[in-house]
Amino acid sequence: MPERPLIRICYVEDDEDIQRIVRMSLERVGKMTVAVVSDPTRAIETMAEFKPDMVMLDWMMPVLDGPALFRQMKLRPDTNALPVVFITAKASQRDLDELKTLGAAGTISKPFSAKDLPDQLRAIWAKLP
Amino acid sequence: MNHSTTANGNGSTLSSSTDAVEAEIRDRADPRQVLADRVAQLYRQMPIAIGATFIAGAIATFELQGRWLTQLVLIWWVIVVLFTLAASTLLVVYRRSPDKLASAPQWLRWLAIAALGNGASWGLAGGVFFRSLSDEQQVFLAFLFAGMASVGIPVYAASWPIFALYAAGILFPFFYVLLTFGNRLFVEIALLVPLFYAINVAIAYRLTQVFHSGYRLRHAYGKLTEDHRVLNQRLERQLVELEEARRQVEASGRKLALFAERAPIAVLELQPDGTVTEVNHAAEILFGYAAAELVGGSVKKLVRAEFHGEFDRTWDSLLTTRESVAGMKIRNPRRDGVDLICEWTVTPLVNFRAEVIAVIAQGRDITAQLEAERMKKEFTSTLSHELRTPLTSIIGSLQLINSGVMGEVEKDIAELSMVAERNAQRLLDLINDILDIEKIESGKLTLEPETMPVDELVREAMLLNKGFGDRFKVRFEARGGAAGRTVHADRKRLLQVMTNLLSNAAKFSPEGGVVDISTDEAGPSVRVAVHDRGSGIPEAFRARIFGRFTQADSTATRQKGGTGLGLAICKRLVELMEGRIGFDDRAGGGTTFWFELPRSSA
Repeated sequence: MPERPLIRICYVEDDEDIQRIVRMSLERVGKMTVAVVSDPTRAIETMAEFKPDMVMLDWMMPVLDGPALFRQMKLRPDTNALPVVFITAKASQRDLDELKTLGAAGTISKPFSAKDLPDQLRAIWAKLP
Repeated sequence: MNHSTTANGNGSTLSSSTDAVEAEIRDRADPRQVLADRVAQLYRQMPIAIGATFIAGAIATFELQGRWLTQLVLIWWVIVVLFTLAASTLLVVYRRSPDKLASAPQWLRWLAIAALGNGASWGLAGGVFFRSLSDEQQVFLAFLFAGMASVGIPVYAASWPIFALYAAGILFPFFYVLLTFGNRLFVEIALLVPLFYAINVAIAYRLTQVFHSGYRLRHAYGKLTEDHRVLNQRLERQLVELEEARRQVEASGRKLALFAERAPIAVLELQPDGTVTEVNHAAEILFGYAAAELVGGSVKKLVRAEFHGEFDRTWDSLLTTRESVAGMKIRNPRRDGVDLICEWTVTPLVNFRAEVIAVIAQGRDITAQLEAERMKKEFTSTLSHELRTPLTSIIGSLQLINSGVMGEVEKDIAELSMVAERNAQRLLDLINDILDIEKIESGKLTLEPETMPVDELVREAMLLNKGFGDRFKVRFEARGGAAGRTVHADRKRLLQVMTNLLSNAAKFSPEGGVVDISTDEAGPSVRVAVHDRGSGIPEAFRARIFGRFTQADSTATRQKGGTGLGLAICKRLVELMEGRIGFDDRAGGGTTFWFELPRSSA
């Protein structure tokens, strides 16, 4: 378990409504600092600047989907160590297995509870080495 | 020298082959039949013997009477007449005998006795009268004896021993008399008698052989003819059967052809090298080729070029294994270039030498079916993603408002947003239920079974659904008779079943009521039952309670929530875990829903 508390979250999501809810949930309920990225192609830039504790990726996005972005992150020294949590609406066993092989820290399935989201993230954070 | 050797060689070959033929004839002729025929021949000659004896006897009696011997001669005549009568009787009895074949040896013996008697009667005449006769009479008698003896040859030729007995009866006393007469000439004549006798017997012997083989041949021929007739009959019968079989094969061939012709599936007959020999109408329609365009060409015309290598490999293995292959999906280009996906059943036809003589391919166009499956999958995926994403926003927003983190909201607005959240949640449940049903019915649901104690599961389910019970002001109470019993089941899915049953019970219980949950052993299973105190299940609804989208009263759906899929999912899940589910009326009102799962040994 990392020593410091989970504060800074970078969230990559193309749906603006969900962006807003997640931001509110994490900021209001979880008292965290959130950077939201709408355009996945510019996500790595933001991460490099924002230096988050954890990254949340939407699975299905146009142009560059979550898994593809995750693979790109793995190639960059400044992002390859960041713990990644996937948010997905398609939760078939095969998808979950695929996420595990990719080395994801955890998954949260849509629809998630806005009330419980910060606690879910902290639980994943607590399990990190 | 050489010539004679060759001749000898030929001779021996010839004789050996003749021996073989004879042996075969011997085997074919029934020896009993041959004997019976010879006996019949002997009896046929009997009238000659009887007549000759009678006439010769009469002449002899006439010649020898008128002397001192008259009385003796008359006695002899009586003996001859008696013999004649006896022999005639024997003949008559034989002729009337119904069984000439089996008792042939017996008849032969009787005949031997008769022949001996016949001979002996002449012998008696010789032995008694000869000495007292005049020279002329002696010559007469000697001539008579010689004549009678030689007459016996044709009469008894069919059995030389009988002739031997007959001739011995005549000649032996005569021989004795001549030998002891005291006259040198007579002694010399006497010595000639056995010689004549031997010669006559030898001739009779030869004749017997001739008769014997003659009859044998006759019977062998008869047997052969019979065999031939039987063989002919059998051949005829087989020919008829063969013709019948041919007709049947032809008829079933026509039937098959008709099936193939009218079948909605494409049927192709192929040679082992892949050349098309015949196609049915459905194949013409399916691929857009006329039969004439396909017949004589390679079947690869119906396989996309890039799959030819794969096709060749499959084809080779088909010819090697000679076993039918079903469910082969092949991309088949139609004449207009459009690809069809067909499912093929390919059957090699093998002859009695296990060689493939033809291959029958039956194909069904499954392009539309695959497209439908793909669309269904896409729809499910859309349902799962495109509906859940907006619901995430809706439920998330309402949750943030209702949880109070956004600050205080006016009471009426708060109430409305609670309604909105509850109904959004219901919509989500419905989507999840539909996805579940779809997953179960398409066989894509994989269970992760583990062994767990039943009472632990019940406790967990009660804890999970406590909030739901509170909402309907219903209390859950557990009473267990199966403490410590374990089942092997998917925990998450079993909790889903329990949640469904508990929430149903809570929804349909009166306010302040109690829902009992019991666990009991039921034979090799464990039964978990949820008892409510509701109003029971209406009669009309009982039969379809585990069907899809069913709720007793649609107003109840609106009031109490629920998708109408819950019990359908429960039933499928329980059955997937090799259990069963059902419900009973509860004594004193209410309903008991139960499920049973096989007890695990652990």
